[in-house]
Amino acid sequence: MNTPETTMLDSRQTAAQRGLTAWEWITNLLKSPVFIMFLVAIGLLAYGQSQNPNLMAEDNLKIMTRDTAILGIAAIGVGFVIITGGIDLSVGSMVGFGGVMVAYLMKEYGWSIWGSVIGTLVMGAFIGLIHGLFVTKLKMHGFLITLVTMGLARGFILVITESFPITGLTEEFKSIGQGYVYNLIPIPVIICLVIAVLALYLLRFTYIGRQIYAAGGNAEAARYSGVNVDRRIILAYIVSAVCAVVVGIIQAARMGLGHPGTGEGYELLAIAACVLGGYSLMGGEGTVPGVVVGALLIGILQNEMVILKVDPYYHKIIIYTVLLIAITIDYGRRRWRTLMIASVIDSLRQRRE
Amino acid sequence: MESKPLLRMANISKQFPGVRALDNVDFEVYPGEILGLVGENGAGKSTLIKILSGVYSRDAGTIWLDDTPIEPRSPQHTQELGISTIYQELALIPHLSVGENIFLNREPLRLPAMGMVDFRKMHREAERILHSLGTEVAGRTPVKNLTVAAQQMVEIAKAVSQKARIILMDEPTSALSSREVDALFGMMHQLKGQGIPVVFISHRLEEILEVVDRIIVMRDGHRVGTLSRDEATEEKIIRLMVGRKVGLFPKQDAEITEPVLEVRNLSSNNGVRNVSFTLHKGEIVGLAGLVGAGRTEVARAICGIDRVIGGEIRIDGKRVHIHSPADAVRHGIGWIPEDRKQHGLLLRMTVAQNTTMAILRRISNALALMNTKEEKALTTHYVNTLSIATPSVNQIVNNLSGGNQQKVVLAKWLSSNPKILIMDEPTRGIDVGAKAEFHALMSHLARQGLAILMISSEMPEIIGMSDRVIVLCQGRVTGEFKRDSMTQEAIMTCATQFVKLDAFADSITAS
Ligand SMILES: Nc1ncnc2c1ncn2[C@@H]1O[C@H](COP(=O)(O)OP(=O)(O)OP(=O)(O)O)[C@@H](O)[C@H]1O
Ligand SMILES: [Mg+2]
Repeated sequence: MNTPETTMLDSRQTAAQRGLTAWEWITNLLKSPVFIMFLVAIGLLAYGQSQNPNLMAEDNLKIMTRDTAILGIAAIGVGFVIITGGIDLSVGSMVGFGGVMVAYLMKEYGWSIWGSVIGTLVMGAFIGLIHGLFVTKLKMHGFLITLVTMGLARGFILVITESFPITGLTEEFKSIGQGYVYNLIPIPVIICLVIAVLALYLLRFTYIGRQIYAAGGNAEAARYSGVNVDRRIILAYIVSAVCAVVVGIIQAARMGLGHPGTGEGYELLAIAACVLGGYSLMGGEGTVPGVVVGALLIGILQNEMVILKVDPYYHKIIIYTVLLIAITIDYGRRRWRTLMIASVIDSLRQRRE
Repeated sequence: MESKPLLRMANISKQFPGVRALDNVDFEVYPGEILGLVGENGAGKSTLIKILSGVYSRDAGTIWLDDTPIEPRSPQHTQELGISTIYQELALIPHLSVGENIFLNREPLRLPAMGMVDFRKMHREAERILHSLGTEVAGRTPVKNLTVAAQQMVEIAKAVSQKARIILMDEPTSALSSREVDALFGMMHQLKGQGIPVVFISHRLEEILEVVDRIIVMRDGHRVGTLSRDEATEEKIIRLMVGRKVGLFPKQDAEITEPVLEVRNLSSNNGVRNVSFTLHKGEIVGLAGLVGAGRTEVARAICGIDRVIGGEIRIDGKRVHIHSPADAVRHGIGWIPEDRKQHGLLLRMTVAQNTTMAILRRISNALALMNTKEEKALTTHYVNTLSIATPSVNQIVNNLSGGNQQKVVLAKWLSSNPKILIMDEPTRGIDVGAKAEFHALMSHLARQGLAILMISSEMPEIIGMSDRVIVLCQGRVTGEFKRDSMTQEAIMTCATQFVKLDAFADSITAS
């Protein structure tokens, strides 16, 4: 019987294999939709720069990266739910809820900054837990229960604010949204990077992440392999809600007030970023680098439209047209497999062999 | 035999990334013959069938039907050309009924002008076809409620009722017991009588020898030989398939010690009635019975998938309550399910990711970090032991051949190192060579103290591997045999006990 030490290859063979894997790594990168999206984002920047040099000026870069980071946080969160094959429509309302709640706790109850932030995060996590319980225990589709929250949370913040913004937040709190590290990097960007790294670690390197993918790929097979699918789905909804609340807190700090209208329509933008980043709404697919690139693309596009003075009425049309083009290409590619680049690479590889 | 083939394929080649699945293969089917197509797992049989039926496009080669070159564009298209196919992986629509699946796209109409479907007629007709295949299933049952074997029979019914000119069957018998197989062979002879050729793929060589007129053998994407029925022997086929001799693996005796799993009067909400048996350390117990006898249901009840409504389960003498598969895994029970596509595999994940699915926690540290080196080493080990044909451990499982997918399911549960291993048709779709190796491995594991409960529809496997056989019929235990007293006839008698009674009762009420 064979032993696990079957990796005893002679040195030449290993070298050849290493060469092959490096080559494969490059071709896989070139073929990957995420990389292509990244190139598109760079191209977009270059185009904008050629039209208006202010695009890459420091001031605008700060704005652009901050906007992108904020969208990125929400998108990473909802991405967890999408991987499990569900959807979270409450992201926008939860952004509003987070912003109003953190301001409310500070102003009405006089809680400290950290107390209010943590209190708000806990509330977000609790709502995520409720979503997860409905989805797993009642077998309700995430679409329904988060649709309900979308309405309820927005209604709730209208009631407690009576639709007036909560103002008068401290400078210290505002720095969460407006501040910089080394006077250069916006704090939201740092927060987004930390969240992205944590999400990457969780999804790619831990068994918990593997189980989240499995829950979305084939829940039944995963369950029969001893995976606690329910727990992973609940975790995904919690992550999504918490990320949305984090975005809400940042937005409140950035505007210096808890505005009840914050985050309207944000869920669609976040889902769009996931889809641009290669997430499948059927579940089981998607990576953190993908969703970051997706958010980047939307962030750059939005910023560029402002800088290039595109009529604001056209912003939505342009963003969703880009989305339409991207998903059409992606689905077409999956359908017919042979996008030009892929076939060129394949023929190159065959020549090598 | 007629001299002119009805269907001819020449110089067919097909390349997948990293795998040359078919290399210059010729293939021909004569009118009114039953043609056997054999070869190891991954030899390219299914790929050939799928090219012929328009699922895959070919890289090179020509296909003629009746001397006219054809260009199979899609499964619908080839169906119109008169080629009907039973695919290796079942392709029924789970939520539709048996009748709706069989008559999909050609529903009998009541008011043709309004497109109104005559459901009564459809279901009755479906039941009639299935009955002629020796299977009794209600026409309105949703397909998802059927066992794999019954689904397979529905697939067969669908294909034979299409009035095709050629029928391709990719491993139709892998989940069937001898009774259904006999009915299928009857049907094949009937088709043959009408001049309709059948291409039959199977890894059960005794079936091949029983029914076919001619055999084409494939290996590594090549056609390596053709045998006529008269010259073919099991040994010759194997020599061509594998290039070496493979014998049946004789089971070695293991020391059978204390009881590990005790099942007492177990009843479930899914048709298990009062089942009792004991499984000892080092023992292989076979669970025999006809399709629908409740063998899979016993496994599901033990693993906490179906609800237990009576009786008890003891592990190592202690009573346990298993409410979910996760509980079962915690108690050291592994379960190799019958339906690999639905229950066994994450088709879009890799070989390595599937292999470690049941032991993720064990290969992770306190920070939940997975040890990918260990994952790779472990998977490589099983890829070699079970000879899984895959370009790498990072291949997507969906891209493997059927038999190799099955081996991945085996690898998953073998690597989990359980105390009790329940196997439901573990060698379904696995080739002779790998099967012998797997049987050797089973025997080896039993000697190390593993308790194995094996469900199998293949009588030689049951008789060859089991220390003890328990026979089920309609959810009840109807017989038990020790190794020295088990014979095929005795087992079959017990397996059909109530069936005969029922038939008797039917005849009384009918008269
Ligand atoms: N979609 C695919 N993508 C990549 N490789 C594939 C794909 N389909 C099949 N292959 C490879 O082609 C080879 C032939 O596969 P095929 O399914 O034809 O084998 P088979 O003879 O039917 O085997 P089995 O007896 O296990 O069903 C295998 O090595 C398999 O890994
Ligand atoms: Mg096959």
